[in-house]
Amino acid sequence: MTVQVLAEIAVLLSPLLFVGLISKVKAIWGGRRGASILQSYYDVFKLIRKGEVVSTTTSSVFRAAPSIGIAATILALFIMPVPIFGSVIRFEGDFVMFAYLLGLAKFTMVLAALDTGSSFEGMGASREVAYSTIIETAFFVVIGSLALVTHQASFAAIIAYLNIAAGYSLLVKILLVASLFIMILAEGSRVPVDDPNTHLELTMIHEVMVLDYSGPDLAFIQYTTALKMTIISILIADLVIPSSMPPFPAIALAVALLLLVFTSIGIVESLVARARISHVPQFLFFMTTLSFTAFAVVVFFLFGVTR
Amino acid sequence: MVSFLIGAALLFAGGIVGIPARENAKAWLFFVFAAAAQLFMLPVLASVLLYGGRLAMPVYFAPPIGVAYLRLDPLSALFALITSVGAFLTSVYSLGYMKMYHGERATLSSYYFFLGMMSASMLLVEVIQNAILFLIAWEIMSTASFFLVAFENDKEEVRRASLYYFIAMQIGAAFLIAAFAWTSAISGSMDFSSFTSVLANHGGASLLLFTFFFIGFGTKAGFIPMHTWLPKAHPAAPTGVSALMSGVMIKTGIYGILRIVQLSGTPDYRAAYGLLIVSMITGIFGVMNAIAQHDIKKLLAYHSIENIGIIGLGIGLGMLGLVYNNPAIAVLGFFGGLLHVLNHFTFKSVLFYGSGVVYSQTHTRSMDRLGGLAKYLPYTSGMFLIASLAITGLPLFNGFISELAIYLGLARSLSSDVLPLVVAALLGFSGLAFIGAMALLCFTKVYGICFLGSPRTEFHSPPNERQSSMLVPMIVLTVVILAIGLFPWLAIVLLKNVVVQFVPAFSADHLVQLTEIFRTISVVLGMLIVMAAFFFGLRKFLLGKRKVELFKTWDCGYQVGSSRFQYTSSSFAQPFLHLVAELIPQRIHVKKEPVLFPGEAHIESHTQDLSERFLLKPSINLLNRFLNLFAWIQSGRMQQYIMYGLIFLVFLLVLILGVR
Repeated sequence: MTVQVLAEIAVLLSPLLFVGLISKVKAIWGGRRGASILQSYYDVFKLIRKGEVVSTTTSSVFRAAPSIGIAATILALFIMPVPIFGSVIRFEGDFVMFAYLLGLAKFTMVLAALDTGSSFEGMGASREVAYSTIIETAFFVVIGSLALVTHQASFAAIIAYLNIAAGYSLLVKILLVASLFIMILAEGSRVPVDDPNTHLELTMIHEVMVLDYSGPDLAFIQYTTALKMTIISILIADLVIPSSMPPFPAIALAVALLLLVFTSIGIVESLVARARISHVPQFLFFMTTLSFTAFAVVVFFLFGVTR
Repeated sequence: MVSFLIGAALLFAGGIVGIPARENAKAWLFFVFAAAAQLFMLPVLASVLLYGGRLAMPVYFAPPIGVAYLRLDPLSALFALITSVGAFLTSVYSLGYMKMYHGERATLSSYYFFLGMMSASMLLVEVIQNAILFLIAWEIMSTASFFLVAFENDKEEVRRASLYYFIAMQIGAAFLIAAFAWTSAISGSMDFSSFTSVLANHGGASLLLFTFFFIGFGTKAGFIPMHTWLPKAHPAAPTGVSALMSGVMIKTGIYGILRIVQLSGTPDYRAAYGLLIVSMITGIFGVMNAIAQHDIKKLLAYHSIENIGIIGLGIGLGMLGLVYNNPAIAVLGFFGGLLHVLNHFTFKSVLFYGSGVVYSQTHTRSMDRLGGLAKYLPYTSGMFLIASLAITGLPLFNGFISELAIYLGLARSLSSDVLPLVVAALLGFSGLAFIGAMALLCFTKVYGICFLGSPRTEFHSPPNERQSSMLVPMIVLTVVILAIGLFPWLAIVLLKNVVVQFVPAFSADHLVQLTEIFRTISVVLGMLIVMAAFFFGLRKFLLGKRKVELFKTWDCGYQVGSSRFQYTSSSFAQPFLHLVAELIPQRIHVKKEPVLFPGEAHIESHTQDLSERFLLKPSINLLNRFLNLFAWIQSGRMQQYIMYGLIFLVFLLVLILGVR
């Protein structure tokens, strides 16, 4: 029990480290030494110690949105099962609450963006909601595939029962992991969906929605984005690690997988340029294709081969 | 049962007694009568709903009707509850809203008269279980609502919308008359209880019968492709009526479908899959069209279509549970669908009432002219926000609970070993997720553009919230939204007996598990509120020692200052609409001087409803071409018409006498 609490605390403290890892990988790939891996922590602490400039156009929605966002995302983390330890919260249908908590965070952020009365933030908000229609649907197909394979209806139960011995499990896992990787890129506003380093109109989706935030609110938002990426990486780790593995190798493997995922994000960011905005939906539809293919493979093997 | 009828009569009377009175008195009289009606209705309805009783009352007519039965069972009680409370809340709302029509005494009289007539007839529709009387009450309901939609008939678009609505209702009623006549003829009796034998056998004929019933009731409910009247009629009607129509009247269509499903026993699997597919198409197409609208009430009307799709999805899922003998899935499906009926009534009414407040203050329904209303209308804005969060299905509010039940039923269906069910469940799963994401887009658009930011046009007079009577119904409904959202097991208490009517193999275990899940959800939501409060408090604490400066929007250093630079509703929806351009055809008119440096330019964009363009207009044109061949019958000469009448009478006499 206390070990689980420690594990959850470790997960809560780690996202900024992973974001630092991405920057470090990009720097090394580019032949530089780059900033320290702990740079994001320094940034967040600096922001917490600052004051804020609040726009007069905004209402209380703008002020409340980052707090609601971080609370909803942390609660979503508690629903996601950590390898070996399971999840803090579990009930049947908790995946719906998971997705819709992240949706609540998104809703309030979009409203906060429109609250500022600026066209840049409106533009980012409109792109964000348009792309989330694609991502949400694909994510639910991922969950549907997992529910179909395991015949369970809660995240923790799905992961616990995910010991598919059949030969097709590798193919399904590859498809689902690829699909979730694209989701991390989209939700974490990484290349090729969005460029977190520039503030140019061409590359703006998430970054532009938070242009008017400063101080502690901006710290909350940066942490929330990093946490969202970590949560989905944990889901990837859950899919890869078989539940029959003994605890200690499993934890080591989980940490290694998380580091691998974020290193891959760094490599992808170094290799690929940010896609033209009209090509971003096509990239996201790739996620939809992968998840529907995974579902089709599962259906084929569950219903086709055995009949 | 008698108190039920007294309640209905009081609602009808409230519309009549106001006719000779002054404007203000009309509104207050109707309100008093509606309140009195609640005193008679609510105890009866609550006892039937909570304790599962059944009430019946025979009414005697001359043959051929004979004995007609009025029956109040939990299903009827649920819909009657919505109807009764909805009528009462609209009466409160009209106290303030109709003030802008004072000075037109005659039309106000007709407004309250038909409001009373519509409410009373809706209540009767929900208890009458005799085919002929049901159809009479149905037609009275449609006619009364037609007159209400045509309230502002000095405007041409209202005239056209109301006539379109009337014709659509008659087409639906035609299917209903055919279906009821056919069923009664086979079963030999007009009473609903005799229909079970006809509907229960799973031949091709009973499937066709089910389809006729579905088209008839579906026209009222707003399923695709019978939905086209909704986006025309709802914006044309006065807001209290729009709220009543969207929250209550289209649910009578759902009531009809549910009654037929209940009478059918175990459904035909083709009917179940058909309903599921039509509901998904309805949901997806409805919200896609809603995203494309810039008139608030038209957007809300299309969104009602989407919610009808979600309700249909729940009902279809429940039917599939019955088909495959899986009571757990059936319970979840029906519970989700029925709860969504109640939920949709609550949040859609709040949204319509809120849009009415906005309209009464700004005199425009176009979102592109609004903005920044949160500062002028704080209470309206807050409740509109809560209703928007609820309709998107986000946690803390009631929409999430009904959608969770449907998702859970679909997830359980994925565990079955029937391939079509698994595929249908995944399509439902992903479809519902797609609908939810689009609803998020739609309502961030509505709330963000109308209430946040800064005003896009100058207001003649600053909007205010002095008409508190318009706020009271919204407050009542918001309390219900929060109650069900935070304490979902209340919904189980309310709906348990209705679900039992549909699932014969029902056992208490199914709901015990759901209650457990709901209790966990309440705890989790409590944690959410506590954590959000913690972080907000942390922020306050951190900022307490720092400087918080108020300034113009930074916007990357682009301080232009004109509110016209803000995103409009069309621009907000554009990235999404670009993705679905095939389904939502957009026509853009640009008026520009054809010179190198044009002075003034004008751009207008319209979206068209695809089903109108490809289904309705071609079929109506075809019908017109065929009917034009008979145009010679209508010569305009009275003598010819009298001759027609005479010929018909002679023909009738010959037929009747000749048969003897």
